[in-house]
Amino acid sequence: MLVLTLLNTVLIAVVSALQVDANIRANQANRDSQYAAVQFTGSLIQAGARSDYDLNTYSVLITNTQEALVAEYSALQQQNINDQQGFEALTLESQIYQARADRVKSLSFLMNAPAYAPASDQVSPNMTTYLSDLNSYSLELVQKQNDASDAYHHWNNKSDSYVAVLTVLAVAFFLLGVAQMTQPSLRSLFSLFATGVISIGILWTLILLVF
Amino acid sequence: MEEPKKKDFRLEVLIAILIALVSLTTALATWRTASLGSKAGDLIFKGLLDAVKRQAAANEDWRRAYQEAGYARDYLMTIDGLIVQENSTDPASQEHAAQLRTYLLTGMESLATPLGTDPSYLAPQGWLDVQKRFDELEAQSPDLSSLDPLASFSLADTYFSEQRWLVLGTILIAVSLFWLGLSQLSHLRSRILILVLGITVFGIGLVWSLGVEFVFFILRAGVV
Repeated sequence: MLVLTLLNTVLIAVVSALQVDANIRANQANRDSQYAAVQFTGSLIQAGARSDYDLNTYSVLITNTQEALVAEYSALQQQNINDQQGFEALTLESQIYQARADRVKSLSFLMNAPAYAPASDQVSPNMTTYLSDLNSYSLELVQKQNDASDAYHHWNNKSDSYVAVLTVLAVAFFLLGVAQMTQPSLRSLFSLFATGVISIGILWTLILLVF
Repeated sequence: MEEPKKKDFRLEVLIAILIALVSLTTALATWRTASLGSKAGDLIFKGLLDAVKRQAAANEDWRRAYQEAGYARDYLMTIDGLIVQENSTDPASQEHAAQLRTYLLTGMESLATPLGTDPSYLAPQGWLDVQKRFDELEAQSPDLSSLDPLASFSLADTYFSEQRWLVLGTILIAVSLFWLGLSQLSHLRSRILILVLGITVFGIGLVWSLGVEFVFFILRAGVV
């Protein structure tokens, strides 16, 4: 019985250490998950502000280019009907819009970054790649957050299970104590019960260690 | 007959004193182990709060940097349009440009400063260097941008590591208490053996715990 008691104390010591370790790992994973979530919100806000600016700049470029073209066509029409004053006013308007469009084009990230810039004026920037790159860091953070969250649940469940194992082993302690105090004829029976409970504890611990 | 009884009594007193001493050490070790977990938890909480504060400040700085970039784009675009008007041969258009430069551009310029007025904000590729402006805005609030959540997390990890190692010492001390209790209750010949076992386990647990405390005290450069 002394051996059984010794075995149970050692087992309790080991399971307690495992429980503390699982609890620490759960805390760390929970922290990592929350930190990644904070970073993710920041990444989304930055991506939102950036895409808003880049797309708005591109939109201003398109608007001014179209205004310049429309003014130019209108000027030609006025010239065809011999309205020289109208032709000159609309030509100037077209030049103003074109100057604005040229400046916005030079400022546009989408029109100048080699990864997204169109090969010619006839095609649009590579929006698919741009949006994919824009969101890649956010997606990476979401993945990180999900992984950490899964790890938290994994270790938290383990920690809870170790507490259950410790409870089982405490029951074994109680049975061994009763066996110690009871009359010799019943001692073996209580020791047998305690052995059964300790075996359950060992088996459960091994299952937790493997999975 | 008297002599063995007296010896037994002395041994029981000795065991009782040992049990009191080990109980006190167990309580102290348990408190220390729990306090380490608590310190680590506090540091994690502080780190997460710092992360939220720093991220909120960064979010605002990004929003402001891109808003200023929008003002700068509109300002630079308007200037180029005005230059065409100013260079035209139409007096009305020139006058219109002069009025715009006086009454409109001044306000736009104040909004577009510094991204639209300082050429150093233009990247070599032509676009506005918003990252540079963001870095400047971050530098303007060092109390928030210098918050380092990872430093708190790293310190928390050292407390967790210490807790991990210290719990082994605490368990050994607690186990020794069990053996000492058993030796007090036992009237068998193995009583001395159980007592020696208890004292040995206690000694190992105590030395282990003190060693862990010392090592982590050094690792944290004197921080308890």
